[in-house]
Amino acid sequence: MFLRLLYESFVRQRRRKALAAIAILLGTTAVTAMLALATTIGDRIHRELAVYGANIVVFPKAESLAVNVAGVDLKPSTGGAHLHESDLARLKTIFWANNITGLSPELPLTIVLGAPSFASSAKGGVSFAEAYDRSSISSPAKASGATSSTSGPFAGQGGVSFAEANDRSSISSPAKALGAPSSTGGPFGGQGGVSFAEANDRLPPPPQTIQARGLWFNHPFGTIITGGNKLNPTWHIEGRWPTQIPAHPCPTPCPRGEVVLGRNLASHLHLTLNSNISLQPNPTAPESLFTIVGIASTDSPLDNQLLFTLADAQSLANLPDAISRVEVSARTKPEDAFARKDPDTLSPAQHEIWYCRPYANSIAYQIREAIPGADASQVRKIEQSEGTVLSRISGLMWLVSIAALLAAGFAVSAAMATAVLERRREIGLMRSLGASRGSIAILFYAETGLLAIAAGTIGYLAGSTLAFWLGAHIFTGDPAGPILNLVLLPVIVAMALIVAIAGSTPSIRNALNMDPSAVLRGDS
Amino acid sequence: MTRLLRQSLLHRRARSLSALIALTVSAAVATALLTLYADLDAKLHHEFRSFGANVVVTEPIPELNFVAKAQQAAGPGVTSAAFAYAVATTDRGTPVVISGVDFPAIRKLDSWWQVPAWPTGPTQALLGTRAADFIGDEKSVTLTFASKPESFHGAGRLKTGGDEDSRIYIPVAAFTAWTGVQPNVVEMQVPGTPAEINQTIAHVRQALPQAQVQPIRQLIDGESRIVDRTHALMFGAVLLIALTVAVSVLATLSASVLERRRDFALMKALGGREWQMSTLFLLETLILALAGVTLGYILGSAAAWTISETNFHTATLPRIKVLPLVLLLNIVIAFLAALIPVRSLRSLEPAALLKGE
Repeated sequence: MFLRLLYESFVRQRRRKALAAIAILLGTTAVTAMLALATTIGDRIHRELAVYGANIVVFPKAESLAVNVAGVDLKPSTGGAHLHESDLARLKTIFWANNITGLSPELPLTIVLGAPSFASSAKGGVSFAEAYDRSSISSPAKASGATSSTSGPFAGQGGVSFAEANDRSSISSPAKALGAPSSTGGPFGGQGGVSFAEANDRLPPPPQTIQARGLWFNHPFGTIITGGNKLNPTWHIEGRWPTQIPAHPCPTPCPRGEVVLGRNLASHLHLTLNSNISLQPNPTAPESLFTIVGIASTDSPLDNQLLFTLADAQSLANLPDAISRVEVSARTKPEDAFARKDPDTLSPAQHEIWYCRPYANSIAYQIREAIPGADASQVRKIEQSEGTVLSRISGLMWLVSIAALLAAGFAVSAAMATAVLERRREIGLMRSLGASRGSIAILFYAETGLLAIAAGTIGYLAGSTLAFWLGAHIFTGDPAGPILNLVLLPVIVAMALIVAIAGSTPSIRNALNMDPSAVLRGDS
Repeated sequence: MTRLLRQSLLHRRARSLSALIALTVSAAVATALLTLYADLDAKLHHEFRSFGANVVVTEPIPELNFVAKAQQAAGPGVTSAAFAYAVATTDRGTPVVISGVDFPAIRKLDSWWQVPAWPTGPTQALLGTRAADFIGDEKSVTLTFASKPESFHGAGRLKTGGDEDSRIYIPVAAFTAWTGVQPNVVEMQVPGTPAEINQTIAHVRQALPQAQVQPIRQLIDGESRIVDRTHALMFGAVLLIALTVAVSVLATLSASVLERRRDFALMKALGGREWQMSTLFLLETLILALAGVTLGYILGSAAAWTISETNFHTATLPRIKVLPLVLLLNIVIAFLAALIPVRSLRSLEPAALLKGE
């Protein structure tokens, strides 16, 4: 009987049911879409913020003091302490290993451009003698005059009055530091004094040193593919990033590896893609041949450098397994007061909590533990600012979701209230035929519940699809996540149920309390 | 007519109330979202200030009043700080980069600098945390530049995790007196969209033809991308919520209207004209809509203020500009809800309805 009543009610009052169903459907659609977006917005914005760079840096504890301004090394690193590349595998074992979304170890080195000894380059590109004719070589001290025109975004930031500052004894001779074409920046240009043409006439071409860097490129690490190019999505490459080519016996000069030139360096040396370049790690070492596979635009000092794969850099520098610095990009929890505590002063229980939260500080702490001889610290500029931006945007989405929830709740309860109100006559009839209040209430609640579950589920599906579509359109290029977030389904349906029942309760009670005969007569 | 209207609204209080609530909610939601949406971009751009400078102005050999000229050309809304650099040696003979700065300006521009206390005295220095390891006495730091020793009082260790950690920062006046080097780098935080930033850059270039003015592209592009995307997301959310509320209100109102067919049948039977009934009905709706908008505007403005205060820690004041739009939206919804039933009134057979079919 009960089931039949229920069934008839749905079949005979299709219009009324449809109205209530539409209200629930739209409400749940909006709420599902907003919640689905709000739960993923953190990851999405984190991915957007990745262009700003790594948020944790790892370097050797015993590092010598860097003397650089705006990315221009004024005192090229001389040996110093190194970390081991093989130790990086230990990062996979730290507590928050899954939060590490990218890492980029690097090894800087200086390279001497080889003499133009071979005329026939393997791929028939520009011959070295042409590409690098005498006029562009000058004594290192004056070379800075030529390169000062090159400029990345930071170029010229370094207004170091070097000639004055350089205390004879302290720094390697200014000529050495300035000689590298990487010393961008106007300030040096003026101080060079001697014009190019003059220098060119008088001086024989000494070997030219260039700063270079070994990096990972599309390097597999655990389940992720990472490296310098992944950590810096704004780097553009014409051609491709270098790969490690396997060593093979080769009698005549043939390329030993691949190299990428910074944009400014390439135009300065007049070198093009796919030509070969002869390099030596120091003026006395044997030369080796590298193929230029790409020209990189990084808008950073790297535009004036050579980029090798890390393995090639290590073998050129004769420092197997060595890395000097690692940039780590990790998904972190924005810093709060607890995060700033010194872990060593905390009680063991508190220390445990601190350790097991994904703060940048805790991840840095775990990296220090994992890699021997390493010091790790958060890059505050990135970490602090990312934290605020991230929390603001996701906070906004959550608050708007709550607004959506409230609005949908009101709308659904209003619609349910109206739906019951319309049926007072029906209730009156049932009562006069002897139905108890309880059984009428159960019938009505069952109807409401069925409606809420059905419309809520459809609304959940529609909302998930909508959120997926919106996300894909707004955040183009993101890896598409799953369309359905199953955790949301029970939440949404439960909310629909609660709101619908809560909305219809006052009307049902109201109708039950009325005098059946008055209702039936149509007085009210 | 007025009496009819009043009676009709008051007599069925429950029904009028539910319609009023629906209209109030829709107006409140529209007001809150539109108010938030109106200055969303400004608020988001404000958050990005914490990333510091996005434009760097450099002059190889600074002209007279370089810093003042650059700041003037950039305009009043721009936060900026000037830097001068030199390399000196510490008391342990290690070369270290020294920078002359204006500490209050840095404090404003580079909020991520972690210092125990900002230097106030003319000879106080901030020691980068790594640079400090190469200094014998952190309280009284002796630095030598071009054979000229100079003493500074260390105000504490600076921690940023960047290049700043291996530098020493001293007040610019002391720096210039000691080294004779003027600041030649001005870092600027230019707020706004890329177009607005480019305009500021053009101004600075015009004022200082010899200077290099370099935007930090990754910051500017990243910021505008994130702001645009959040904006688009909010736009989607606003549309979605507005639609939901609108349709729900439509459902509620038209249901309540349909239920009054008996009233209309009676009026028709008593000789009421169709236009009279429609007018009465639309007027009723209009009154409800106006009341809903008034209440909703107040509630919505309060909600926007709360959201803004909790999330951005800045108040969003009520905007009177959104009112016409909210009003229009609500009246359209209400009339749509009223029109559908009114149309069905035409085909009403009073006798059949009154009989109770």
